[in-house]
Amino acid sequence: MAIFNHRFSLWALLALPAVAMLLGYGRGSAEAMDLLHPSGEMSARLMIIAIAISPLISILGPRKWLQWMAARRRALGVAAFAYAVLHLGFYIIDMGNVADMVAEALAPGIWTGWAAFILMMVPAILSNDASMRALKARWKQLQRFVYPAAILTLLHWIWVHNNLGPALVHFIPLALIVALRAFKSLPQAKQGA
Amino acid sequence: MRTLSLLSLAGAAALTAIATPASATGAIKCQAGPASSWKTQDALKAKLLKEGWQVRKTKPDGGCYEVYGTTPEGDRVEAYFHPVTLEKLYVARRGEVLFRKKGY
Repeated sequence: MAIFNHRFSLWALLALPAVAMLLGYGRGSAEAMDLLHPSGEMSARLMIIAIAISPLISILGPRKWLQWMAARRRALGVAAFAYAVLHLGFYIIDMGNVADMVAEALAPGIWTGWAAFILMMVPAILSNDASMRALKARWKQLQRFVYPAAILTLLHWIWVHNNLGPALVHFIPLALIVALRAFKSLPQAKQGA
Repeated sequence: MRTLSLLSLAGAAALTAIATPASATGAIKCQAGPASSWKTQDALKAKLLKEGWQVRKTKPDGGCYEVYGTTPEGDRVEAYFHPVTLEKLYVARRGEVLFRKKGY
């Protein structure tokens, strides 16, 4: 069991899909275009998992597996951003030039992606011990940038494919979890007051 | 309460899975008959190049041919063509529909 709790194991596990994508690209069995979806989807999934941990603890109570996840939430968030970087990298390779990227930058499916990326960058860059110490209470507030980033990611996914299904399959459970926590915390808040 | 929460979460997840249409790939569908009567992707590519397109990739999708490329007007798009007539049916730029033939 100890091997699973080693810091390196978690990073290795999180990096595995990226290694597969980069190997495929390196060998020429997958083009940048083909890797846009898997890298973006991985980023969104990790983001959703990172966001869902704390509401799940509120809903289900302290569970061992949830606390195991909670202790690794920052790594999950950073990994989500790393996959967003990979996703953007494949996009830039696929587009091949700045003019084409500028030309489509205002398409609904594209500006939402850029905006989500920029918003994710803030918590990702600040996800280290030095920033946590320096920012104190502000750190937590800045991590909340991930919520608007999640909404933009959802819109990016829906609009870039012009298809609701796959994006909603990922985000409806998250929305329900967040809503359930809000619902659950209502009576407790009253008792506390 | 915990059991109730767990149950409602599981129920919600199941509902989401059921409510989602199974096929989510092709933007449009072509009922073009057996693939043996289709023109080749190379024929489509040659036709498009002649019309001023740049073609990055072609593949069959939803019974149509799907093309990733740049239109003569310079838009980077994903487009669908009928595999028998090679007629243009659907053009979208990053999910934003630029053209859709009536009936598709």
